[in-house]
Amino acid sequence: MMAKTSVSFSTLILAGLLVTAVPQSSHTAFPVSDTFSSPTPDEGQDRRLHSLQAKYRSLATQLSKLKPHQPYILVDTARNHLYVKRQDEIVLDAIASTGSGTILDKPGEGHDQWIFDTPRGEFFVQSKLTNPAWVKPDWAFIEEGLEVPKNPTDRVEQGVLGEYALGFGKGYFIHGTLYTRMLGKNVTHGCIRLNDGDLKSVYQFARVGTPIIIF
Amino acid sequence: MILCAVLVLLLASSIPGQAGETDSFPGLDLNNPAAIQEATRVLEEEVKLASRPQTYLLLDLVTRTIQIKGRGVELHRMAITTWSARALHELKGSHRLIARPSVLRRKIDPTAPVEQEPISLADMPVDYTLSFTPPLSVDVMPTAEESPFRWIRARGQTWWRDLQDSWSTNRPATQNPYLRLEVSAEQAQSLAWSLVDGMALVIRRPTDKR
Repeated sequence: MMAKTSVSFSTLILAGLLVTAVPQSSHTAFPVSDTFSSPTPDEGQDRRLHSLQAKYRSLATQLSKLKPHQPYILVDTARNHLYVKRQDEIVLDAIASTGSGTILDKPGEGHDQWIFDTPRGEFFVQSKLTNPAWVKPDWAFIEEGLEVPKNPTDRVEQGVLGEYALGFGKGYFIHGTLYTRMLGKNVTHGCIRLNDGDLKSVYQFARVGTPIIIF
Repeated sequence: MILCAVLVLLLASSIPGQAGETDSFPGLDLNNPAAIQEATRVLEEEVKLASRPQTYLLLDLVTRTIQIKGRGVELHRMAITTWSARALHELKGSHRLIARPSVLRRKIDPTAPVEQEPISLADMPVDYTLSFTPPLSVDVMPTAEESPFRWIRARGQTWWRDLQDSWSTNRPATQNPYLRLEVSAEQAQSLAWSLVDGMALVIRRPTDKR
């Protein structure tokens, strides 16, 4: 009984394949015969159209293959939203805070400045941290009019980045915040802030290597 | 049975390709050679751009949309109300942004008791010119309905530039391509925000007579 069922199933599949294969084989037969006789204007146009269609399909497939096939993080800095996406599906839509775009002069004679933008482009999750401590950079002291400490331990501050942080290079992180009322605004120094619940979801979802696309 | 399994696997592996094909330009008339040729030209450029870790712009004049894309994925879409162009037939390949409107950034004063206001979309300009290389100018301006005074001013600037071009004694035989986009103020600001230096732009041109 089982053998009969499997034979009929495979016959169906083969029949289906034959039906779908027929037009393709008829297309490939055309150019071969055409090489031995000069085509009429209509045949020439048809061949050109088929060739264009084939090229278009091939390129569309190539482009499709470049799309992230694994889930990825998308950050809209203009509207301050972070999305977790799986192909076209939005798995998570979180209100975020991104870079303020303000500038701060670096101390010294030069005209160097810090620009507090969230970087745009494509990045990857490089590190996943739990209970991260903030090692305050120079600008965090200078913007408050404080002296930059000489002792590195004086830079460490606990409990301001939330329970998790995801590093994506050059000191930029997706992390939590104490200032949840500022979510939805451009207020950070370049990092991406989330509330505790969304941060936990993103942390659980992301792996090292998960793409982050920021625009 | 083994043959069947192999054939089923082959069929299954061909499905993503077909899905991708329908994603690229929905509504494209596959029986229109000129339309396919243009779509193919754009796809060739997109495949190059999407293979790098960057965001890029697709200006689709057929669907009247500006799309911010990365890895071939549409990240954000803005509507074009109306557009006009000059020498679009000379466009080849993609273009790189070399000049965009400056943004007035606020400077943090450590001695000030109040924090500086951050920049936001509202700080972005609504009428501006973008310059690309190879040479291409794109004027972005608000719609007449939304900002009549800004629209008149922007149109005036365009006419003045065209007039200067026509008077120029060193006028080149072929003029550089130029594009004027009318978009809502919100979309203009959104586009200005999303631009980054060196950003690539690809334009899909209509093939029918307008």
